[in-house]
Parts: sequence; structure tokens; C-alpha cells
Amino acid sequence: MAAAAAPTVFLLMVNGQIESAQFPAFDDLYCKYCFVYGHDWAPTTGLEEGISQITSKNRDAQQALVWNFPIDITFKSTNPSGWPQIVVSVYGPDLFGNDVVRGYGAVHVPFTPGSHRRTIPMFVPESTSKLQKITSWLMGRHPEFTDPKVVAQGEGREVITVRSQGFVTISFNVVTKDMKKLGYDVSPSDMQNPSVVSLTDGIHNH
Amino acid sequence: MAELHLIGQIVGASGFPSSRLFCKWGIHTGGAWKLLSGLREGQTQVDHPQLGDVAYWSHPIDVHFATKGLQGWPKLHVQVWHQDPFGRRELYGYGFCHVPCSPGWHALACVTWQPLGSWQERLSQLFVGGGPQLLNSDLIYTGADRYRLQTSAAGTVHLELGVLLRHFARYGVEC
Repeated sequence: MAAAAAPTVFLLMVNGQIESAQFPAFDDLYCKYCFVYGHDWAPTTGLEEGISQITSKNRDAQQALVWNFPIDITFKSTNPSGWPQIVVSVYGPDLFGNDVVRGYGAVHVPFTPGSHRRTIPMFVPESTSKLQKITSWLMGRHPEFTDPKVVAQGEGREVITVRSQGFVTISFNVVTKDMKKLGYDVSPSDMQNPSVVSLTDGIHNH
Repeated sequence: MAELHLIGQIVGASGFPSSRLFCKWGIHTGGAWKLLSGLREGQTQVDHPQLGDVAYWSHPIDVHFATKGLQGWPKLHVQVWHQDPFGRRELYGYGFCHVPCSPGWHALACVTWQPLGSWQERLSQLFVGGGPQLLNSDLIYTGADRYRLQTSAAGTVHLELGVLLRHFARYGVEC
């Protein structure tokens, strides 16, 4: 199809799954995800947030917690600044049955087309005084972020202390449209790595 | 003008004597580069890892530069600090690395070093902590005047940086 004018908007389609987690000290966990993006971005189709099922560890030695939770979203944007990040929060029961947060983590959605897998560390905020740690353990009210999207920002992080206590593995499949037409290069020109060749490369001439 | 987007994370650090660490980072560029959006410096949270001894920060970096020339390609410099349970902070290492020149996703390991003092200072550092710090933090990423300095090796900072370039091919730049 002939385009009358040069495109000003590019599309980013991401699908994939939150595969699994490793939390040696905790069991019976579920996760929530949401996407955080800049002002120039807007989701066009797909779900921006989701809550997974509750999963437990198997009896085997691997001790993995598997969610296999699908992600499917498409964004449009005029500017790569504010590239979307996926923020994952993991929750589980504590000793007294209260639902407490076991980890927050965030990672940018990859921008080279193709398949990618990321393992991200998960951390929780920690109180700095020992007394507060004991009372929060007793009352079941552990420190948590009022809005998990804070994890995707860089500002204001210098005042918090966190504990990293697990990992979550996410796999992504990324497709972009019109980034090359707008002049963006997302992979090196000599194409050493065939698994990240852009889908539009065979169609357009340089 | 050509543009560069740097989208990634300071993942964490390993190889330091203790893992209760945080990192102050900044991006230094030459005169031809202009920051269009994003923060060019910051400080990560303090991590207290429960599994293993790698401190994880996952600190997001999203910076957008416009440039008229190749000189002064952006350099990311880091200072790794330790915070003990009493809240005291001491320096554990300085390091820098250039932002990669080719577009795509790169996993970088930035090596760091720590200034060494005289033997008296090292002895007191063993007991009460502290230790010499640079007066002028430009020395982290420039080579001038380094010959006066004596340092020892410190751990490694792990970064995952995605580089997105725009219009570089229009000016004939191959990368």
C-alpha cells in the first residue's frame, strides 16, 4: 500500500509470558504485572495489567514457581523516550495468612525485534529500624510501595533500602513497525546476530 | 541532528567486600551533545541481598541525546558506596564505561577501583572504615592527572544498556 506521507508514529507489539520465579524462602505466590510508559506512548490494543494464578513449588529439587502467564499488548508512540517497562509485583501469604508483597521488579521491554528472555531480580522495601521489622512481622503489615509503578522510575530511589530476595523470568517476542522509516536503528548495520534481524529488512532498501 | 536513546538499567554489582551497596551514577558527554529528555545522573536504592552476594538495583536509565558531532561520545560513570546497618556510608569503588556505539542491547561489566591511601590510612580504614575519596570526580572518567593516583581493584558493576540511534546513517556514520 502506498503511503502518501512519511509516518510519524511507530508501533511496538509485545507478546510473551511471565514464565516462572525463583524465591527460595517463599511459596504459594501470585504475581501482578502492569506497564509503565512515557507521555508519548499510548497502548492501542491488549491488556495493560493482569493478575496471575497462585502457584506453589513442586516437590522436586528445582523449586521453581511456574506461572506461564501471557502478556499481549501493542503500543504506538512518536518518541522512544519513555520506552515501556513491565513492572511485576509478587505477593504471597505470610506465617499468619496475610497477603504480603514478596518482590517488585521492572525491566524495559526489549526494542530489537525477535525473541528475548529476561531474568529480573525482585526486591521489597526494608524498614531501617529493627523494632519496626519486628512489629511488621507480628502485625503482618510489611513495608510496601503505595504504587508499584514507582519501581519503574529512577527518581526518589536514593532514600529507600530494599532486600532482593528472588528472581522472575519473563520471555518477550517483539515486533516493531515503521521504526526504520522514522530513521531509528535498533540493531547494528552489519547484522552479526541473525536472531535479531528486523522483520522489515527484506522489504526495504537502504 | 542525530539522536541517541539510551534505554536500560544499572542491574547490580558484585565482587565487593560487602553487598549492602548503592550506586551514584552520571552520564558525561562532550560539548556537541545536548540532553533532550531524561535524567543524566542519579542514585540507586540501597540493596541488602538475601540470596547470594550480588547487590541488585534494577535502576532504569532512559536518556535522549541529540548531537552535532561524534566527539565526546557519552560515558557512564559510577561510584559504588556501602551503607552499613548504622547508616554510615563509605566509598567502595569508582568506575566508568563508554555507552556502546552500535545500536542494540548490550550487557556490560564495568570494572571499578578504589583509591589507596598511605599505610596509616589503610590501617585505620581496617578498623573504623572510611578511606580516601576523590576531591574532583572528573577523574573517574578522564585520564589527565591519573598518574598521581594509587588505587586497588574493586568489584564489578553490571549494566544492561540498549542503544537506539537515529539519523546516523544520514550523516554517513557507520555503526
